[in-house]
Amino acid sequence: MVIARVANSETFKVTTPSDCEIRITRLFDAPRHLVFEAMTKPEHVRRWWGILDDGHSVPVCEIDFRPGGKWRFVGRTPEGDIPAFYGEFREIVPPERIVQTECFEPYPDAPSVVTTVFMEENGKTRITVTSVYVSKDVRDMVLKTGMEKGAALSYDRLEDVARELAERVA
Amino acid sequence: MDQLSTTFAALADPTRRAILARLAMGERSVTELAEPFDMSMPAVSKHLRVLERAGLIVRGREAQWRPCRIQPKPLKEVAEWTETYRHIWEQRFDRLESYLQELQTKEKTHGHRARRK
Repeated sequence: MVIARVANSETFKVTTPSDCEIRITRLFDAPRHLVFEAMTKPEHVRRWWGILDDGHSVPVCEIDFRPGGKWRFVGRTPEGDIPAFYGEFREIVPPERIVQTECFEPYPDAPSVVTTVFMEENGKTRITVTSVYVSKDVRDMVLKTGMEKGAALSYDRLEDVARELAERVA
Repeated sequence: MDQLSTTFAALADPTRRAILARLAMGERSVTELAEPFDMSMPAVSKHLRVLERAGLIVRGREAQWRPCRIQPKPLKEVAEWTETYRHIWEQRFDRLESYLQELQTKEKTHGHRARRK
């Protein structure tokens, strides 16, 4: 499955409101309650969250959707399982707002707090996901990972060097 | 600080990244590394010490010139982290958009059938 020319693709934006934050926004051609549901129910999340290509799936998709409830996702790729993303819900206001923590398994000491806001916009829904990281270093690292194509950040050369070396080592 | 934070702190400087980029092509002496920069040898040595502490380079024991060599392991960890995140959000949302269309089509079909009953 190659995803190309998807509706509203061009509305995807990444910004950095402060040193420790990343904000992603995107418009969806769907009513708000549906977007909210698709992002919070496991049977829906399994259909899109980790499905970046053929052979991808989400073998673990646990969502205890209540304040204090935990969530945990594991993405599977043909090369193997990606370490888990997990966290806890802090605040839930259907279908408007969710605040949750997010950790990436290899880096349990670097949790982020993620606020997702769902806004109606002429029958469409704009979601804004704001992640607050523990430090600017961690934030920059996440940002540099390709979330924002061509971001002119300070780590320009890093990825090239890293890839080159990784290839050499492989 | 954990290894990844140390690595990133060491990389958060354009001179040190330039040094690493040069070392990626092969080992160099401190003098050779200092050449392109308008800075003193002690300043370059200081950068090299930061890279060394982060495990990004090793200094040879050979004779006087102690060649610097890049150490791929910490960078490989960074690369793995970046590979893991690569594509994720943009593609995820494109996929969600497609899925939402699917859901709405189903909802409509379902609603249509219900009305016909």
